Amino acid sequence: MLSLIVFLPLVGVLLITLLPKKFEAAAKWLALVTSVVDFGLVIALLTRFKIGSAAIQFEKEIAWIPQVHIYYHLGIDGLSLPLLALSTLLIAIATLASWKITVKPRLYFAMILLLSVGLSGVFLSLDLVLFYLFWEIVLIPMYFLISQWGGPRRQYAAIKFFLYTFFGSVFMLVGIAALFIYTGSFDMIALRHLTAGLGSGAFGTVAWWIFAAFAIGFAVKIPIWPFHTWLPDAHVEAPTAGSALLAGIMLKMGLYGFLRIAVPILPQAFHHWQLILGILAVVSIVYGAAVAFAQTDIKKLIAYSSVSHMGFAMLGIAAGTAAGFSGAMAVSISHGLIAAMLFLLVGVVYERTHTREIAKLSGVAAAMPRYAGLFCFASFAAMGVPLLSGFVGEFLSLLGSWGSAALPHVLVVIAGVGILLGGAYMLWLMQRFIFGTPSAAIEGQPEISARELTTIVPLAVLVVAIGVYWTLLLQYADPIARMLQKLVGA
Amino acid sequence: MNWFFLIPVFPALGFIALVFLSRAWRNRLIYIGPVLVGLSALLAIIGFIRYFPGRVIGQPFASLSWTLARLGGVRLTLSLGLDSLAILMLAMVSIVGFCVQLYSLFYMKDDERRGWYFCVLLLFTAAMLALVTSGNLLLIFAMWEVMGVCSYLLIGFWYKDEAPRRASIKAFLVTRAGDLGFFVALAAIWSACGSFQLDAIIKAAPQFSAATLLVVGIGLLWAAAGKSAQLPLSVWLPDAMAGPTPSSAIIHAATMVAAGIFMIARMMPVISLSHVALSLALWVGIITALFGAFLACFQTDIKRMLAFSTISQLGLMFAALGTGAIDGSLFHLITHAFFKSLLFLAAGTIIHVTGTQDMRKMGGLAKRMPIMMTIFSIGAFALAGIMPLSGFFSKDLIMEEFLTHGHPVVFALALVMATLTALYVVKAWFTVFFGASRQEKSHAHEGTLLEIVPTAILAAFTLLLGVFNQGWLGCLGFKVEMPTLQMASISTGVMLIGALAGFLLYRFRIDNDWLAKHAPWLLRATEARLYTDAVYEYLIIKPYFWVSALLWRVDARVIDGAVNGMVALYGGLTKLAEVTDSRLIDGAVNGIGAGYKRLTAVAWIVDARLIDGAVNGVGAGLKQAGGLAKKAQVGRIHAYQRAVVGAVIVLLIIVLFVVFVVLKGVA
Repeated sequence: MLSLIVFLPLVGVLLITLLPKKFEAAAKWLALVTSVVDFGLVIALLTRFKIGSAAIQFEKEIAWIPQVHIYYHLGIDGLSLPLLALSTLLIAIATLASWKITVKPRLYFAMILLLSVGLSGVFLSLDLVLFYLFWEIVLIPMYFLISQWGGPRRQYAAIKFFLYTFFGSVFMLVGIAALFIYTGSFDMIALRHLTAGLGSGAFGTVAWWIFAAFAIGFAVKIPIWPFHTWLPDAHVEAPTAGSALLAGIMLKMGLYGFLRIAVPILPQAFHHWQLILGILAVVSIVYGAAVAFAQTDIKKLIAYSSVSHMGFAMLGIAAGTAAGFSGAMAVSISHGLIAAMLFLLVGVVYERTHTREIAKLSGVAAAMPRYAGLFCFASFAAMGVPLLSGFVGEFLSLLGSWGSAALPHVLVVIAGVGILLGGAYMLWLMQRFIFGTPSAAIEGQPEISARELTTIVPLAVLVVAIGVYWTLLLQYADPIARMLQKLVGA
Repeated sequence: MNWFFLIPVFPALGFIALVFLSRAWRNRLIYIGPVLVGLSALLAIIGFIRYFPGRVIGQPFASLSWTLARLGGVRLTLSLGLDSLAILMLAMVSIVGFCVQLYSLFYMKDDERRGWYFCVLLLFTAAMLALVTSGNLLLIFAMWEVMGVCSYLLIGFWYKDEAPRRASIKAFLVTRAGDLGFFVALAAIWSACGSFQLDAIIKAAPQFSAATLLVVGIGLLWAAAGKSAQLPLSVWLPDAMAGPTPSSAIIHAATMVAAGIFMIARMMPVISLSHVALSLALWVGIITALFGAFLACFQTDIKRMLAFSTISQLGLMFAALGTGAIDGSLFHLITHAFFKSLLFLAAGTIIHVTGTQDMRKMGGLAKRMPIMMTIFSIGAFALAGIMPLSGFFSKDLIMEEFLTHGHPVVFALALVMATLTALYVVKAWFTVFFGASRQEKSHAHEGTLLEIVPTAILAAFTLLLGVFNQGWLGCLGFKVEMPTLQMASISTGVMLIGALAGFLLYRFRIDNDWLAKHAPWLLRATEARLYTDAVYEYLIIKPYFWVSALLWRVDARVIDGAVNGMVALYGGLTKLAEVTDSRLIDGAVNGIGAGYKRLTAVAWIVDARLIDGAVNGVGAGLKQAGGLAKKAQVGRIHAYQRAVVGAVIVLLIIVLFVVFVVLKGVA
């Protein structure tokens, strides 16, 4: 089942590659069908998933290179299931949002499907080597999406994206190797006990360094200040679907790494890192919000807002409490929905006007009222208004970090100020972009189309559903959060 | 399940029905607004009659709870509960809401986006009704925020103009600044007792640590100060008048701004455990009351005057909460809701027929609109505290509380505030309704039935609520007596002084024009609202713009510059290496050789950039990096490409190393 979910898109890739050039327009249909079926499989999985347990389900383990204890090992739990669902949903939506791609469509849609393979693989792997493999696979299609279909500075942004995140993953690889040297295992679940067996004596110092290696690898991906500068370039230059996938799901790989690997496997080292991570998280929150406020490019503004929002997730993790972990997971999903929505919406206007300059875009409300309503909705969700999903994660992160013994209360208060600053840049954007009298670029533009609506509405529905009924998401997150809290002993 | 839980559901259904419709359909269906809120009001009145007498605050006779989620295994419960306070508030909110809906049919009839207006107003009403019914602090907070969004949308309703847009952002952000306190208080409460249920919090509160009590008390007061426009967070309310007048009547006069007072009253058993919090409420409240009343005296815009008056009246309620008793405050909250929304609606009609908000351009309206004048007068006199209107009774109860709880200074200040209130009310009353019309052509006429009916309903409540206070207020478990003769004469005395002063100011035309000649500094100060806005402008907003621009430059030049600089330097070095070693680089062996060289180069850069740089002065290093970053983009890409090659080689080496170690381990 899990293998099917991971590798089904590969079938799509194969079919697309076999398409003759004459029928290249069919590539998008192939991609859409494949991704929707893949998402359907995840839904089927969702219904069979046993809720309320932190155990790994649907586990599959096959010896791959047994000589060095490398296994093809897949499994799913409450941590990875929501992310897998989000990832497959966003892939399907990204395909639909790319309907107007006419340049090299076969390569484009093959890359989107390949991305799906990498993402599902990352969230389902339980073997560190396999995990690393999928982790790097993700880079390749995204590199091409940016460098081939991106904006004017796409080459620069793509290479920078590749190198920077690659730089991070090299550290992660070192961490994986070191873990193996000390324990002789790549099993992400078994390692929890194996490292505990090593005690905190001599291994304590080493563990600190291994945690550091993982933390750098994941921090680049999330990204946490000061490793974030690849993000604005990549998000801005990527095509709409690329930005939505980057912000929507790829950033979450870093958070997932913390929750799946760094924290549970090295809980002792985590204690030494909590305060540092908490401080960096709060810096990210405030700094991201402040820099977002200064932007004149709408995509860049949303890109920096991601830095700020990811800070809340990091803060929740740094707290080391159940509420904090739940908060981090909720931010992952909620920001995935909201940021994807915002990038897709920006893409709608970009497709019509070919500009991202806020100064040239104003008065959208008068020209495209339905679009404006959706944008305001997404903005309020991003601001963390209750009853929408953005509130759940940020609130739980604050709740969890207030209750954390490792973090001083002042950090929480500063993070709270970050929520206020989040309101500032978002409202300021709405005032310039949505309201006012229509600018020349906006005047007379057609209202959001049915296809475009179809890409937004499922996300909006989920944003409301999770915001109103937290259990929908937290039933998966809470058992994991409790397990993590127990492991770190807070 | 009690039927009366449906009260908030009706308007919510209306919102859901309208929000997905097209503009044309929404505009056609606005009538469901008054119908649904009317249903809520009907149900609330039935509930009030049936359940109200004999119930006690905080002891719901019906409740409804559900689990929102589990946090670390702990149930996070939300609940609705009907106690006497809830049912009283439900009745007030739905009656005022119904009147405003009805009135809006008239006021918004020609607006092309009227459907959206009713849609948002319905959401607001639903949120306020749910807030007062809530038995849970988190639910109160959620509804509180939803109301904030509605307030934002309605203030900025006419978004094509600059003023409403600015005012809407200001309102949202200032109240959100207050909500920071709510966040902190909620976090502290959860840490202390693991529940947001009001009864659980109140039960656990005596065991809270002093620090927790202080954080909770101050956090909640700060939040209430934001919502209820208390100093220093009062700056948003006067600007909020840019929205449609009927929405100001319900949101910025009767209900949302009162939510802060309501929330504190609900949490009083917790807040009263902290003396610091109580004194804070007392003093912030009374200073705000004076501040608002003082500035109201100088307003020429009728809506702004009412807004400052609201700030002032809310200040009085806030101060009353500082005594630790909630009865006076809640009494005034109810009476104020009726007479202030009445004043706003009546002012809406006046603005409509005169086409101006400037009271100096009105005048002589008494003859042209006698019914509306009578209705307005009832509200105005209640505000001024004239017997036997409702405002008189509720204000006097607060005054007595100041004395009985031993705050004579606050009592004296409240008397000053009462004097000022009578002054601005009477002055405005004369200016608007008497003398000759100051408009070149006046088309002023009597209001239509859709204006008179809702305002008349509110006027009826204003007339009766005070006299019959024992009939309903006693049911809250309060012992309310008619004001003593002593108190009544004192307050009537100060009212008369104020009224006389107001009349004299009107009679001898001592207005802002006069001030401009004789005391320009005072006029300047009042126009700048005693410089409260300037404090924000110069201490927060401008610096934030500045800091944000600075950080953005830091981000692009320093942080990203360092990254690009490192890559550029590295690219240059590899180029150099290539040139010098071109003869050595040959065949398969060179791959590793070059890779190693590049590796050392990386090490060198790290050394030179980071370690050396830190020693020699980070600034110089970053500047250099920034300069390099400015190099032509093409060059940067080449450098990056070269770096990709380098990175792959580094990876290869690492992989080889790992394999080596692994194989050794296996062997």
